[in-house]
Amino acid sequence: MNRRSFKGYAYLAPVLVIMLVFTAYPLVKAIFMSFCENYSIINGSYKGINLENYKDLFDDKLFIRALGNTTLYVAFVVPLSVVISLIIANLLNSHIKFQGLFQTLYFLPYVTSVIAIGVVWRWIMNSNYGLLNYILGFFGIGPIGWLSDPKYSMTSLIIFAVWKSLAFNIMIFLAALQGISPDLYAAARVDSTPRLRVFFKITVPAMMPIIAYAFIMGIINAFKVYNEVFSLFNSKAGPVNNEAITIVYYIYDQFYNNYKYGIAAAGSVVLFLLIMLFTMIQRLPGRIKAKKEAAQK
Amino acid sequence: MKMKRIMALVMASIMGASLLTACGGSGGSTETTTAAAAAAGSEKDIQPTTITFWHGMNNKQEQSLTELTEKFNAENEYGITVELVNQGSYSDLQTKLMANAAADTLPDIAQAYNNYFTDYVDKVVALDDFVKNDYPDWDDILESYRTENSEYGKITGVPFNKSTYLFFYNKTMFDELGLEAPKTWDDLQHIGEVILEKKGLAAIGYDSMCDMLEAALRQHGEQYVDETGALFNTDGGLETLEFIMNMYNSGYARLVGEDNYFSDSLSNGMIGGYVGSSTGVSYISTDIEGKEFELGVCPVVGDKTNAAYNAGTNIVMFAKDANNQKAAWEYMKFMTSKESTIKWAMDTGYLPIRTSAYESDEYKAFMEGDITAQAAYEQAPYGFVSKASFTGSNEIRNVVSTTLNELITDKADAQTALDTLVAAVNDVLK
Repeated sequence: MNRRSFKGYAYLAPVLVIMLVFTAYPLVKAIFMSFCENYSIINGSYKGINLENYKDLFDDKLFIRALGNTTLYVAFVVPLSVVISLIIANLLNSHIKFQGLFQTLYFLPYVTSVIAIGVVWRWIMNSNYGLLNYILGFFGIGPIGWLSDPKYSMTSLIIFAVWKSLAFNIMIFLAALQGISPDLYAAARVDSTPRLRVFFKITVPAMMPIIAYAFIMGIINAFKVYNEVFSLFNSKAGPVNNEAITIVYYIYDQFYNNYKYGIAAAGSVVLFLLIMLFTMIQRLPGRIKAKKEAAQK
Repeated sequence: MKMKRIMALVMASIMGASLLTACGGSGGSTETTTAAAAAAGSEKDIQPTTITFWHGMNNKQEQSLTELTEKFNAENEYGITVELVNQGSYSDLQTKLMANAAADTLPDIAQAYNNYFTDYVDKVVALDDFVKNDYPDWDDILESYRTENSEYGKITGVPFNKSTYLFFYNKTMFDELGLEAPKTWDDLQHIGEVILEKKGLAAIGYDSMCDMLEAALRQHGEQYVDETGALFNTDGGLETLEFIMNMYNSGYARLVGEDNYFSDSLSNGMIGGYVGSSTGVSYISTDIEGKEFELGVCPVVGDKTNAAYNAGTNIVMFAKDANNQKAAWEYMKFMTSKESTIKWAMDTGYLPIRTSAYESDEYKAFMEGDITAQAAYEQAPYGFVSKASFTGSNEIRNVVSTTLNELITDKADAQTALDTLVAAVNDVLK
């Protein structure tokens, strides 16, 4: 190691130490815990090192339900949120009155506590005197037990989560929109290109990197969903029997309420692998493209 | 290049799995803290010290706790200062205690339910010697509380904020329909029939489903659950579930649904009555415009026998230092004294923990004007506390509640309900 690189590592050291202590160590420890049968967090004792926790995990119907629910959640919330926020961001970026006001309004959910939002949505979705059923009533629909009927638990959760995740996406999309060169639009105007064509041929391609980013972050966050469930169902995981339980909710429940530390750790490892897998898949198109470009050169 | 890519992937995934950090925690210390309590009583040499007390009390409860503690700090002769630390809600308190048990950094004393420390009961100081040598009137404390605090085979705490489940009802509606406060299961069924027929409403709700089941089983002379599994797979258990499922399947009783607690439903005239905690009475509004009513409160019904569910935490000791243990004990004695428990009960709506406090002129005068306190006093002799001193007790509470919810939603018959519940409980303990 020469002197220059030593200096570099010295600069990195504080961050590295913090990451080792607070990220790498717990990660390794959790992986270790997941293989310990009957692990006790209190004194670190365990019965043996085996796959018992993973066996229990996949034998537990509740975990299977959590896996299914989380997958459903990711599959709906992320694409819906990205598409809707793309549309809203475009509308906000056009020359409308009170643009600043609207931008602030759409950004509010991001800076508001999810617990507070949950309280409001519990009222909106109340089957007896909720705003949503009131409005649907005009169209002759309902009343629907959004939060009381187990059938609608996941639907309600997804609606709530899409709305909540719009804010962040809109903000980054707006920033990206403003970064697109006006020349491109001017050229399109000269050719009198239809608006929809402008959107798909100029706006979307120019925003592709940021859309990809929104997808990756959205999926990672969606896999970790917990707060939304907790706040919408008032510190439960569904109206009757955990209808809307998610993986993180399951892990938390096993750890803090059922004192099953090993199973909770095993659940975390499964979640870790899932997120890793999805992130890998998402990076595939980019890598293929990079390879193609390299080949062309 | 490839390495970099893998690193990036791992980093992204780590971000995703950063919740793992919550599960970290140290596992080092295995030392036990059943430190023998110093033989007090004779001569005390307590050095001035500061005791930390973790609690989950808020609003007027916290205010009363602060007043009592300040009084203790000012008046005790040893220079003991008790420092109150509010940890938020019960569930926050529970998780923080667990994390600190793992890190071996527990406070000197804390509020706790017995099922908080099933995994670290060896860190709870045994109070037997303190009670024997330095607690003149232990028998004055209500029996169910003494039993609860001795469940682990040692005295693990002193009772503190105690409540009981009572039947709250819309007296205006009951009077109008010629109904009286229920005393038996048959009364309850009759009330259900009348209110459903005349008002189209459910008559009864239960804030806590697992506690409802245990109370009903005990009222029918049956047992609930212990460390060996479900004890109600009997004829009596089936009869109990027949009664419960009939109440729900006929529409006499209903689940809380999307309301937080039945106090909301009662306030809005959407249910005849409900069984809930005596401390929840402050959440009942009897004066919502157009829905005004007079509130009625009575003890929960009985069947073959009476049984009323008691709730509320105890104060437990984790202090390791012998001097701190002695100092904490002084505080625990103070908080459970007759004077303190009376003040505490009158301030907060919790119940006195001593027979002598119930019988004091001061508290009797208070009860005159407080129907909730009267009803609680009436059922105090047959109160019980659910057994919680075994691994899995906390999980069973949750499993029984959610399973019952599901059975009721599915309109299951009694036999199915019994079989499903027994299997669910035994599955936790297997």
